[in-house]
Amino acid sequence: MTDESDGNPIERTGDEPPDGAPPGGGQRDRGDPGASDRELAADGGLSAGAETDSEPRIAFYGGKWASTIPLAFFILWAIFQSGVLGIGDTNGLVIGALVGTILGMFFARGDWKTYADTIFEGMTQRVAATAIVAWLWAGMFADTLQVGGFVEGLIFAADALNVGAATFPAAAFVLCGLLATGIGTGYGATIAFVTLFFPAGVLIGANPVLLFAAILSGAVFGDNLAPVSDTTIVSAVTQDADIGGVVASRFKYAIAAAIPAFVAYLIMGSMLSGASLEGSAALRETATALGLVHLLSMGVVIATAIAGRHIVEAISWGLVVAVAFNLVFGLSSVSDILVFTVTEAGAFTSLPFVAVGETASVGGSLYSGATGFFPLIVLTLLIVSMAQIMIRGGGFAAIQEFLLNSVATNVRRAELTMVLGTATINGMITINTAAEIAIAPYIARIGEKFNINGYRRANILDANTSALGYIFPWAGGVLVGYQVMVGPEGLGAEYGPEMVVNPIEVVPYVFHGWFLVIVFLIAAVTGFGREYIPDRTSEEVSRA
Amino acid sequence: MSRFDKFFAGLSFRGSTPDYDPGDVIEVMVTGEEGGEVVARIGDSTLRIEDAPADAVNTRVLVAIDTWDEAGHRGTGTYRETVGKSAF
Repeated sequence: MTDESDGNPIERTGDEPPDGAPPGGGQRDRGDPGASDRELAADGGLSAGAETDSEPRIAFYGGKWASTIPLAFFILWAIFQSGVLGIGDTNGLVIGALVGTILGMFFARGDWKTYADTIFEGMTQRVAATAIVAWLWAGMFADTLQVGGFVEGLIFAADALNVGAATFPAAAFVLCGLLATGIGTGYGATIAFVTLFFPAGVLIGANPVLLFAAILSGAVFGDNLAPVSDTTIVSAVTQDADIGGVVASRFKYAIAAAIPAFVAYLIMGSMLSGASLEGSAALRETATALGLVHLLSMGVVIATAIAGRHIVEAISWGLVVAVAFNLVFGLSSVSDILVFTVTEAGAFTSLPFVAVGETASVGGSLYSGATGFFPLIVLTLLIVSMAQIMIRGGGFAAIQEFLLNSVATNVRRAELTMVLGTATINGMITINTAAEIAIAPYIARIGEKFNINGYRRANILDANTSALGYIFPWAGGVLVGYQVMVGPEGLGAEYGPEMVVNPIEVVPYVFHGWFLVIVFLIAAVTGFGREYIPDRTSEEVSRA
Repeated sequence: MSRFDKFFAGLSFRGSTPDYDPGDVIEVMVTGEEGGEVVARIGDSTLRIEDAPADAVNTRVLVAIDTWDEAGHRGTGTYRETVGKSAF
C-alpha cells in the first residue's frame, strides 16, 4: 500500500466520456477487456448501472458537451424567466424544458429515434416516480390542515403568548418552521403565513422586510427537516437512505443554524422599525385555539415516518387523523375536504360532498392539494429526461470527470464541491426540488467516490437545496410569497403599499437559509457530522 | 441502532482519514481499480480489496480487513460478498 496513485480515485475508475464513440457504443469493446466496466462508471447518472452497457448511446454534433444543450437551455430559460423577468410560473418552466428538449434533438447525430426513446427512458426513472407519489400525498395532507384552521391556531398561539412587534419576526420564524415541518411544503407554509401571519405582524408594528424574511427562513427550516417535504424525500431516495434516518441525522445541522437565526431575528426585530398601520383587531378575530389540534396530525406523520414506515403510509395516517379532527371538532365541513359541484340540484345534492354551483367541478383540500403539484410533476419528468439525454450523450460523465479530477481531489474538497455545487444550481433554478433532482446524481457519485454515507450526502443535498430556494428574488419560495402581496386581491390592494416587500430587500435577512449554508461549509472543512459508509449503512429506503 | 441513537449518530468532528483494525468486517463502496485489484477510497484513506469480482467497481461489498497501516491510512482486505450497488 505504498503506491501514491492510491490518492486519486479517478485514475482507477476510468470515467471516460464516450467521446468519439459511435451510436451503439460498439467501439468500446474492441481489444479492451476492461472497457465494459469503465462504461458502468461513465454512466454515473440516473440509470441502473448494470443495464447501462447494453443501452444505446447518443452521439451529438459538437461532441459530448452538446448533450448538455437541453438542460443548459432550460437553466438559461429559468434564469431569464424568473431571475430577469421575475415570473415565478412553473408552467413557463415546463415550456422551457420542452423547447430545450426539442432544441437538443437537432444536434443529435443519426436516427433521432434513439434521442426520443431516451426521453421516455428518463421519464420512467424510479426516482421521479417516488417523489411524485410523495408530493401527491403530502399535498392532500397540507391542504387538509389548512382548511382545518391550523394557521388560525398558530395566530391564536402567538396572540395568547403576547408576542409583540419586536419579537414577532422571531415568532414567525418558529411558527412557520413548525407549520412547514408538519405539512412538508415550504411554499405552502409561505403562502399561508404571508396571507395570514404577515399582515397581522405588520399591523402590530413589525418590520415588513424582516418579517417576510423570517417567514421564508421558517419555510427553509421545514423544507429541510420535514419527513414529508418534497426536498427531504428526493434527498433520501436519490442517496439510497431511509427518510426517517435522514430526518433524524439532520437535526444537528438544522438546530446549529436555527438557534443563531432565532437570535438574529430577536436582535434585528428590536433594531428595525415597522410600518405604521392600524386595525389589527379584525385579523385576530380569525384566530382559534382549536386549530392547534393539528399539531397532533403533524405528530402522527412525523412519528410514523421516523419509525421507518413508508412515507405513503405515514402521510395516509396523518391525513386520516386530520380529516377526523376536522369533522369531529367542526374545523371544516366535508365539502371543504372533497366536493363535487353540479349546476342543478338533484338526487345526490343532499350528500355532504355534493354541492350546487355555477360551474360543474371537483374541489376540496384533497383535490387542490394533489393538483397543486401537477405542474411540478410534469417539470420533474422533463428534467429527468433531459438529464438522461445528458447521460446517454456523455455530458454527465464529462462534468463528473472534471469535478472529480480537478476539484474534488480529497474528501474535504469533495464535500465543499457538493455544498457549493448544490447551492449554485439551486441559486439558479427557481423550483428548488427540480434543481435538487438535477444535481442529485452528482452528489451521489462524488460522495460515493470517497465512501461518504447516504445520510451525510442527503443532508448536504437537502440543506443547500432548501436554503437557496428561499433567498434570491427569483427563488420560487420568495416569488410565491411576493405573489400573495401583489396579486389582484393581494395584501397591497387590501392594506396599502406598506404591505408589499421588494423581494431583493429580503436577501440578507433570510438568516436560517444563509446560516444553513455556512453550517455545511464549516462541516465540510471540519468534518462535523461526517459519516462514512462503513460507519453506518442506510436502512432499506422507505419507498415504493 | 435505536431510533433515539439515530438523532445523535455522526455528532462529532470526523477526520478525513478513518482507520480500521485487522479483523474488522466493513461495508464499503468500491471506488476504483489499480493493478488488477479493486480499491475503496474511504475519505482520504485507501483499502485494497483482494479476490473481488471483476465488475466490483461502483458496488457495495463486505470486506474483511487483513492489514492496516495507521500512519499511511492504507490497508488491505479480502472480499466477502456484494451487498449493493451505487445509488445511481
